[in-house]
Amino acid sequence: MSRMLVVAGKGGVGKTTVTAAMARASADLGLRVLVVTLDSRQGLGELLGGSPDAGSEYEGTQIASGLGPKKTGSILLRTLTASDALEDYLGTQGLARLAKRLVSTGVVDVVASAAPGIDDLLVLGKLKHLVGIAGPEGEHDLIIVDGPAAGHAISFLQSPAAMAKTISGGPLHSQANEVLAMLHDASKCRVIMVTLPETTPVNELVETTALLAETVGVHFGPVVINGVDQAPEITALVAKDQLPEGELGDAARYRASRCAMHAHAVERVNQLVATGSISLPHIASAGLSAGDIKTLAKDLSAEVSAQS
Amino acid sequence: MSKKNFRDVISTSRIVVCCGSGGVGKTTTAAALAMQAAEIGRRVVLITIDPAKRLADALGLSDLSNEPSRVQHECSGELWAMMLDARATFDEVIRQQSRNKQQEQAILTNPFYSNIASRLSGSQEYMAAEKLYELFNDDRFDLVIVDTPPTREALDFLEAPQKLMNFLDHRVYRWLVMPARGGLRVLNFAAQPILKTIGRVIGADVLADAINFFQAFEGIEEGFRQRALAVQTLLKSQDSKYVVVASAHHDTVQEAIFFTDELARVGTPVTGLIINRLQPKFGKGSASASITAARKADKEGDTELAALHRNMAHLRHIMQAEEATLKPLLDAVRSALVVKLDQRAQDIHDLHAIADLGRDLVAATATR
Repeated sequence: MSRMLVVAGKGGVGKTTVTAAMARASADLGLRVLVVTLDSRQGLGELLGGSPDAGSEYEGTQIASGLGPKKTGSILLRTLTASDALEDYLGTQGLARLAKRLVSTGVVDVVASAAPGIDDLLVLGKLKHLVGIAGPEGEHDLIIVDGPAAGHAISFLQSPAAMAKTISGGPLHSQANEVLAMLHDASKCRVIMVTLPETTPVNELVETTALLAETVGVHFGPVVINGVDQAPEITALVAKDQLPEGELGDAARYRASRCAMHAHAVERVNQLVATGSISLPHIASAGLSAGDIKTLAKDLSAEVSAQS
Repeated sequence: MSKKNFRDVISTSRIVVCCGSGGVGKTTTAAALAMQAAEIGRRVVLITIDPAKRLADALGLSDLSNEPSRVQHECSGELWAMMLDARATFDEVIRQQSRNKQQEQAILTNPFYSNIASRLSGSQEYMAAEKLYELFNDDRFDLVIVDTPPTREALDFLEAPQKLMNFLDHRVYRWLVMPARGGLRVLNFAAQPILKTIGRVIGADVLADAINFFQAFEGIEEGFRQRALAVQTLLKSQDSKYVVVASAHHDTVQEAIFFTDELARVGTPVTGLIINRLQPKFGKGSASASITAARKADKEGDTELAALHRNMAHLRHIMQAEEATLKPLLDAVRSALVVKLDQRAQDIHDLHAIADLGRDLVAATATR
């Protein structure tokens, strides 16, 4: 198992939902899980059963504990921003006083735009530090990162390689190389791609995965396909072709065609991506609740143990 | 002057901005509106940003010229489309604003410029707005439809011109440029303690590039500012109609509400709301009625009929959940035109399917 899982995927695929379900499933197995969000507005606190502003403190918020068969499982949620990471970083360079000044005068913006990607690198550097203190003897067993949204995941993960080239020598250059080493080490870090069971999202998933493998050399866990509809009973009935006229028949045919489309998309992912996939069911509700996440976590564990 | 349907919107508007989060079918919706506008005789240009490959191919957008090209489509008007190249657009602006070739080259070849042109947050949004402004003033077109970048910060597009100006106005930069004005040598300046420290962290070359950029940029800011102001004025004018595209997912709905509220706040209320990918309706009745029917069929030993009713209950349950998810958004858009479209059986990636969607879109009567 990797120490850290970075969950990534385009907007609207349910990346945050998957992050929450994975965290819950892992804690239910008895693991001490640290969930890191790079954007506090994603609503992870509530999905995990905490308050909406859970995780906003720098040290994080303990959302659950005493989970799993031996009551060892716990969830700590923490928000990590670029300016926090920069302050931390300058602190480790013996520049703590300067850090405050840089942040308050806005020089940080200048630094970040003088070398775009520096903010991503600093966040990854902080994650590397957290991975370093994780493990059976450490503070956490598993770190799950709700990665940046949309196309930003690519530039986020590419930042260390780019920075290693842009900056010749100096502390940030070594930082970039150390982060790269972590990204290349499957025992430390894997990327979990999230997608939907439809043609375009699957195409984009395949492109992104290939690009990240080539430019970053990162390792992947199984792809999580979110919202997969399966209705074998209805599919069988439709195949028999003896449906009643009217809305009952129409609804059955619609459902069967949607299931077929989803099954086809899942099959394509399994063919095109070496790590295979895990399917999560579609949950019909107006805004997911912590209860829905618990259900999804069970589905996720069941899928994982069925496959292994 | 609220509109009756989307046919009204595309017949009378001069600019339609489609906004919403990623994954809601925004590009496809923008393309569908553009096709319909061309079919009713308008000369329309569609600006897309990072379309899915098959959609780009369908629109003939394989070349990266950053200029509109005519889409082969039988209609009484004209359909043009282009894929935004933010970097190329930024270069064009620099060329227009530079006083001479030397200044132009000094900026365009500067590595720091490369960074801000391609990666500074908001520069893609600003360049989309810039392109919109350019094509709005192009006599070849009488309607511009823009598919905005899928930003998390919904207002980036509207505020990008201001943001870029703030960036260029930043007092730290003023301070970086100052010594050149005062006749001091940059080298001396770079030797200042704070810059030395920054240089040590990010690298002296990177810092020197930044200083060189701002010195080369001197004298352009005013033209740049005027232009950004004109772009922003257009975005906030009555000519710009905003159409929010959403799906019935909790997070996209939250974002659409945020965007709707912000647009109202800056005085450009949303003209229309398009809700894509809804679960189709099958007959009337509730999920619980279907469950009752399924139990009755079970009792009577008709397992197949029970399964069909349970399926109906499942679909109606999704439908009801979607309605509940959308309710706050419908409340937020108030008087705007609202159109709901069902999930299609197939992905939309050819002109035929886009035209189909467009016909449904403009024909649909507003619902609530």
